Amino acid sequence: MTQRGLRISGLRAAVEGKEILKGIDLQLEPGSIHALMGPNGSGKSTLAFSLTGHPSYEVTAGSATLDGLDILGLAPDKRAKAGLFLSFQYPAAIPGVSVANFVRAARQAVRPDDLPPAKFRQLIYSQLDALDMDHALLPRYLNDGFSGGEKKRLEMLQLAMLQPKYAILDETDSGLDVDALRAVGSSVNAQRATAQDDAAGFLIITHYPRILQYVRPDAVHIMIDGRIVQSGGPELADVIERDGYDAFREEVAGGVA
Amino acid sequence: MALLSNEPIARGISEAALAASIERSGEGSIPVRARYEALARFAALPASEFARPGRSWKHDLAKLDFSALVPFDPQGHAAHNGIAPALPPAGVTVEPFSRARADHRAAFEAAFGRALDAGDDKFASLAVAFQNQGTFVDLAAGVQLDVPIVLSYEARGDAACFPYTLVHVGVGARATVLERLEGGPAGAFYCGLTEIVVEERGRLAYAVVQRTGSQARTIFTRRASLAADATLELAVAELGGEHAVSRIRVAENAAGSSAALTALFFSDGRQHVDLATEIVHVMGNTQSQTHVRSAGTDHGQGRYFGNIKILASAHGADALLRDNALLLSPDAHIDSVPALEIAANDVKAFHGATVGAISEDELFYAQSRGITRADAERMIALGFFEPAVVRFPGEGLRDELRASLAAKLSQRIAPA
Repeated sequence: MTQRGLRISGLRAAVEGKEILKGIDLQLEPGSIHALMGPNGSGKSTLAFSLTGHPSYEVTAGSATLDGLDILGLAPDKRAKAGLFLSFQYPAAIPGVSVANFVRAARQAVRPDDLPPAKFRQLIYSQLDALDMDHALLPRYLNDGFSGGEKKRLEMLQLAMLQPKYAILDETDSGLDVDALRAVGSSVNAQRATAQDDAAGFLIITHYPRILQYVRPDAVHIMIDGRIVQSGGPELADVIERDGYDAFREEVAGGVA
Repeated sequence: MALLSNEPIARGISEAALAASIERSGEGSIPVRARYEALARFAALPASEFARPGRSWKHDLAKLDFSALVPFDPQGHAAHNGIAPALPPAGVTVEPFSRARADHRAAFEAAFGRALDAGDDKFASLAVAFQNQGTFVDLAAGVQLDVPIVLSYEARGDAACFPYTLVHVGVGARATVLERLEGGPAGAFYCGLTEIVVEERGRLAYAVVQRTGSQARTIFTRRASLAADATLELAVAELGGEHAVSRIRVAENAAGSSAALTALFFSDGRQHVDLATEIVHVMGNTQSQTHVRSAGTDHGQGRYFGNIKILASAHGADALLRDNALLLSPDAHIDSVPALEIAANDVKAFHGATVGAISEDELFYAQSRGITRADAERMIALGFFEPAVVRFPGEGLRDELRASLAAKLSQRIAPA
């Protein structure tokens, strides 16, 4: 029997020979929302890139399975086809490739031939509207000259169009105004609330508890120096809001000593 | 096709070959004396300008051997010369070059040679000497032509193709011309000349699509001369041939003229493309934009020389030169040499050049969306050309260019 969920166990990863992740254990169930919080440089983005297969990130130990499938040996596109999605903190621009063509190619790649062109257009228009995005975005070159907010919304558009099983949102909230944040929140909530079998799991990476006012997490994990030092319920976010990360840093230091 | 064995064949570039060519075809629109003078210039001008020092270029014009060249086909069907529309509207002349001087003497002689300074150019001189194909396009003042004029040249048999295209756009007239260079058997040789004159307030969009056979050699010289407030959009796609040489010079001779020059090439297999562009701002208050996009893959080679020349008389000139090259294989090589020569004060001149590979960040981003690495490379490389492609006239032509580029990309990259 396959084990559903995104299951990460003992994951260690290095960048240019320097170990960043020092043993991560995390289970994300379908339909659940986990927040991963931590200060700059704690390894949150490294976890996102290691799971999605960025070539600069070398996994040195541990495992990661997606609904029972070992994803660590797969090319990045195979991981996406298996149902994994990353909303980038800094999305790349691809000049000369329009948003419409790119999203169409991506949808075709992860869900081949499931939408005739007219239905695709219908869907992308309705998702643009839901995210309060201008249809005039579609012929523009992908992320080329986009503002920070436009880029983040485009990540959410792709999330909605690709309907992954598990999505990692890497600081999607940073640089967003309140309206955009609310739009992102309702987009995540909508996908989580879809029929139970299709409900997506979300790992929301963030510095700030702000986004968690719009998306209520089931669990919160605190990451410091490449390790998850504490996990708990949503109330953990409130502790961070009040006290910052210092208390957790001391815990790490104490543990080492 | 093979020549009949009992035909005397004048091979090579020589006075004897020129004499035989003229005897067979008549002098056409270029007087016999002018042809011999051009041949003498070809022989006298140094090839050193075309030499390719610095690395092991596969093709070097300075070292070309013409001894086996058949400069004309003794059987008389040297090349195919297509012209459309066959019946141009009033005020528009589209005529085989060979008959232009006979049929439209005044208009032809008024335009012929105005944009050309063949005296300083070796291969332009060769094209004049042996001209055996070509078209004269003339638009009377004020004529607005919406349908594009399409000219196509294709070498047939063993003979070389020497097309001369002369385009004259009258005062306030407007037109689009598409020049196609196509086909050609193995070893086909094209050496041509395009001369463009745009009069005051005239507007011309002129596009060239070179898709000759994979073993053809093409050497083209293109010269344009712009009068006051004239506009030229010149777009050249060098896609075919084994060795393609394309040399473009636009002279902005009067205030208010504007030139937009676009070129793209994609060297694959063992292809070599040599591109040189020059915009000369002769007078002030003239504008120009040069956009070049090139890519190399497999063992493809390319060289680009881009020059903006602003003369001392051209105060207030505004010029931009942008050149981007993409390398898709470690064995491909593209040299890029942009230059600005500015003799006037008070001008705006910008140039920027990049040479590089596809960024890993772009590839990973596309892959993270489920697109395979090979598809992502194709998509990004096609996107790279897009800013140049959109500068060609007509959606049909743009789609044709995209398909051509996509086919080259598919041939190159093995599926992941």
